[in-house]
Amino acid sequence: MIEISNLSKSYGRLKAVDQISFEVTRGEIVGFLGPNGAGKSTTLKMLTGFLPPTSGAARIAGKDIFRESLEVRKKIGYMPENVPLYTDMRVKEYLRFRGGLKGLSRSRLRKRLSEVMETCGLTHVRRKMIKTLSKGYRQRVGLADALIHEPDLLILDEPTNGLDPNQIRAIRSLIKNLGEKHTILISTHILSEVEMTCNKVVIIDEGKIKAADTPENLVGSMRTAGRVTVELKAPKSEVEEIILEFDEITRVVGESLQDDWNRFTLFAAPKTDTRLKISNLAAEKKWPLRSLSRRIGTLEEVFIELTRKD
Amino acid sequence: MRIFRILYFKELKSYFLSPFGWLILCFAALMQGFALTATFKQFSDNAVPESLVFVTFTSPIFGIYFLFLFPVLTMRLFSEENRSGTIEGLLTAPVRTWQVILSKFSAAYTTFLSLWIVAVVHFYLFTIVTDVPPPFTNGELAGAITIIALMGMLFTAFGCLASALTSSQIIAGVVCTAILIFHIFLGFIPLLFGDQIPAAPFFEFISSQNHLREFSRGLIDSRAIVFYLSTSAFFLFLTFHLLDFRRWKP
Repeated sequence: MIEISNLSKSYGRLKAVDQISFEVTRGEIVGFLGPNGAGKSTTLKMLTGFLPPTSGAARIAGKDIFRESLEVRKKIGYMPENVPLYTDMRVKEYLRFRGGLKGLSRSRLRKRLSEVMETCGLTHVRRKMIKTLSKGYRQRVGLADALIHEPDLLILDEPTNGLDPNQIRAIRSLIKNLGEKHTILISTHILSEVEMTCNKVVIIDEGKIKAADTPENLVGSMRTAGRVTVELKAPKSEVEEIILEFDEITRVVGESLQDDWNRFTLFAAPKTDTRLKISNLAAEKKWPLRSLSRRIGTLEEVFIELTRKD
Repeated sequence: MRIFRILYFKELKSYFLSPFGWLILCFAALMQGFALTATFKQFSDNAVPESLVFVTFTSPIFGIYFLFLFPVLTMRLFSEENRSGTIEGLLTAPVRTWQVILSKFSAAYTTFLSLWIVAVVHFYLFTIVTDVPPPFTNGELAGAITIIALMGMLFTAFGCLASALTSSQIIAGVVCTAILIFHIFLGFIPLLFGDQIPAAPFFEFISSQNHLREFSRGLIDSRAIVFYLSTSAFFLFLTFHLLDFRRWKP
């Protein structure tokens, strides 16, 4: 659906986006993550044809974003950051205007209008002026606008920015439902959102792609993933000696607790699970064991690991 | 063509479905009334060798309010879209940049033209309610309206350019006024430096004051028509590239 190859954008001397390449296949919901100023919005603006790339190329549904911009724009539903709308129009009037611009015929427009207003929960505010709507409703109007021409690809730039938790939930479930029919590219820096909705994550920082994979794989391949913490009533030195003989374990750090209990942190290779071995060992040696846990990373940790500056 | 129509009517609505367009219309009607009344006063005080149309359209009152109309009509066109960011939504829809520019220009121009309906009515009102033969001919009035339409075209194009330059309506208005004053000033150069200077014919050629004087005597000059049409097209072309600038700036 989207093929990006070596796409770059410079603003004068600043390289906002530097030779990025990634692909999105049909039907995926992709989270496009990065800290502020990482080049997310710039990339999306290039994909939607608002900004031309400095070098490189991208194709959407097989069409070049620069040479066949008009064709590409017909296939994209784009919701820009902060959702700029004509505030002196009414909701239905605005959506009718946008649908017309996107080339919908009169009869199809009428049908789509009621459909998108239904989908986005706008039916009861359709006669209101956009300037009187709350931010959550404006966001929905923006989404309805992006959806009106049934685009193959939805590009949403921070769709839940500035919303309250209830509204975020509503928009998130809306996006999840849309994912059944559309390919979606969402830019955001709210990670829990991505964990819940996306089946692929692309992390960008300082204009470069840092990672592109499924959230599970990213979390699994983290440095701290696979780390096991165990609390045993056993002599420290002996435990450390025996455990270090396991292949997966690279390092053991012991720490004394009250009443002869010791806590051991076992550093293991990613994607390994040594818990069973440890509990078997404890049973065999008759060491009392009161806690055993394997660390499951979060996307937040992956994000911080990949984009931290120090 | 359908897209142009949709954009055009959207712009036109923003003039006439809000108090804005009607306020301008009101203001223009009022000022046209003033200009006409002042001319009548002149006519009743002493003998005037020119027609009513000529004296009205060359009076200082006309010059002042006429130039005032363009910044007011055009300053909002692009600057408001730049400020609110709606330009991004507009230009990422499957719409060509020239459709956006022509539709906005046409809507502003249509609004401008509609202001002169009142002026024409004023002149004919005189012939209807008095038994005096009209102190002007239809040809003179047609000439005056033609040159006002042509000048309006160019000045609206100035306004489009000024509006596309910035995201502030105020600055757009000021820039538009500055361009207009500069243009009028160029027309005064032969008066200031004498018409013996080598460039005098050029300044006379582009002088809107001269055109207004000639046309409101009923002299339709095709050179002026070509001048206004081509210069308007040129300024719209500049506006197009200004709006497209983000696409090729380094």
